Amino acid sequence: MSTLTIENLTKEYGDVTALEDVSFEIDDEFVVLLGESGAGKSTLLRCVNGLTEPTSGDIYLDGEAISGSQPEVGMIFQQHNLVEGISAYLNALTGSLADTSTAESLFQRQDRETKTRALDALETVGLLDEAHQRVSEMSGGQQQRVGIARGLVQNPSLVLADEPVASLDPSSAESVMGYLKKAATVHEVTALVSLHQVNIAAHFGDRFLGLREGRLMFDVGPDELTPALVDDLYGSVETVALAATDTDQTGEEKQRLEVEV
Amino acid sequence: MSSEPSPVDELREYLGFAAAGDSAVDRKLKDIKRRKTIRRLWVGLGVVAFVAVLRWSLTTVDFSLAELYAQLPEFAEALTEYFPPTTYFGVLPFVDVMQYWEFMLEAELFAASQVTVAIAIAGTALGLPGALFFGVMASERVVPYPFNFLFRLTMSVIRAIPALVWVLILIPLGGVGPFTATLAVMIDTTGYLGRLFTDELEEIADGPIEGIRSTGANKSQIVSFGMLSQVFRQFIAWLAFDLEHNVRVAISLGLIGAGGLGLELNVQRRTFNYTEMMACIILVILLAGSVELLSQRLRSYLRDGDEVERTGIIEAFVTAPKKIVQSSMGKR
Repeated sequence: MSTLTIENLTKEYGDVTALEDVSFEIDDEFVVLLGESGAGKSTLLRCVNGLTEPTSGDIYLDGEAISGSQPEVGMIFQQHNLVEGISAYLNALTGSLADTSTAESLFQRQDRETKTRALDALETVGLLDEAHQRVSEMSGGQQQRVGIARGLVQNPSLVLADEPVASLDPSSAESVMGYLKKAATVHEVTALVSLHQVNIAAHFGDRFLGLREGRLMFDVGPDELTPALVDDLYGSVETVALAATDTDQTGEEKQRLEVEV
Repeated sequence: MSSEPSPVDELREYLGFAAAGDSAVDRKLKDIKRRKTIRRLWVGLGVVAFVAVLRWSLTTVDFSLAELYAQLPEFAEALTEYFPPTTYFGVLPFVDVMQYWEFMLEAELFAASQVTVAIAIAGTALGLPGALFFGVMASERVVPYPFNFLFRLTMSVIRAIPALVWVLILIPLGGVGPFTATLAVMIDTTGYLGRLFTDELEEIADGPIEGIRSTGANKSQIVSFGMLSQVFRQFIAWLAFDLEHNVRVAISLGLIGAGGLGLELNVQRRTFNYTEMMACIILVILLAGSVELLSQRLRSYLRDGDEVERTGIIEAFVTAPKKIVQSSMGKR
């Protein structure tokens, strides 16, 4: 349980402004970040995680200013960013690196509680039986679930996910999102998740933040997330679907496909 | 255009130096022809230069076909000593393999082989920590740009000096023998294996590094878990390759007196015992070939997703002598 407060966050890459004066506060919720590619979703998440240094503005977690990467904030990446050559268990265990010294972690001398925590996390994402398997031998959906497990092992109070299901097929995407939501609920962590798929977002989110060209466009609850709002966010793309449809592609992806054809 | 082009005009046309054509296409065609002519001139010049250099090289080394011809009978004689003929079952002519075998036992060549392998193993093991240290520190991702070059430079200097020369340098330290050879292999390993490690580290993906960083890990944990864990299997594979290389180096180090199989080979050469010399060479091929086979198989097993490399048994043994020469010259 935690409160994330973002105040006047701005990030510039040279002449390009990726984030402009973004402020919001989230509190024990499952929050979905929507917006086109390049709208600043990744930049925002990376700033909160400390992987990117903001140009100006402040980030507070439970009232304390944070900077740099830390175990309090778990991060789930689009390309999962796991170490592929080692097992799911060892990858989950890397979530505890900040608690252990380099030598201890190298020789796997973590205490029993930590090791159990890693296996518990894998159980949460339904991979206990596969814990010994090498990550490179797993499917994309399984790999992403290991990524969630690693985040959980950090014992975070806040979990960030940067398009966690963008490279997955519709059914894996749904199951990974299901596990992510379950993990957030079971471990009682606040979640900030960026998504491309509006229908998945509508299904899982408690609250929705819309980013466009680095600025916060809307901050709404499930009832207020109207098709008009979404249309406005993505510009006039006709295929953006809010209702349940047979496609999980966003209008943007559709458009790209069409251009390629 | 004139009605009957003269041969000179035709040649100019062919070479691309005729008067400019009318259309853009004509001009381009002429341009292409001229480029071709110029390219051919350069190639011709290159051939002439190469012939001149080759001539100079042959004169410098006193290359002489007449000499070869004059020496042929002597070489033929030596051949019968290299491969002593005998007849089996009274009729079947073949090389007298037993002569080799007897000499191998008499001169304890198998013990000498063990010395050679021991030099390689000890040298590789002792050189590994240095190789790891220099290899990792030379990577730009671990040590920032200008400083990593210090480590790169050290390894370059080590590699610039062949292992054969390292033995000569180290003789005052350890005398002429297997001990000095081991030290030389150790230094050689630091330079070579370290460089291979550095190259391997250049290939790693950013994702896992960021993933580990995001957990709040410290710098040395990011290096070990985010970076080294990505290349762990490749490192083991390179280690196997370097052990193979070092066996070949150890053989060649023996030739200048550093013990083992190479030493025995050189002793027999100096005393013109060609049959005994060939016995040594056969063992050299068997030794280098076996180590290579083992190392190749281990490496193909370790390389995830790679097609399993299957060097044929015969191929491994046939190419062994060539590789020994390459290894001793500091080439791979």
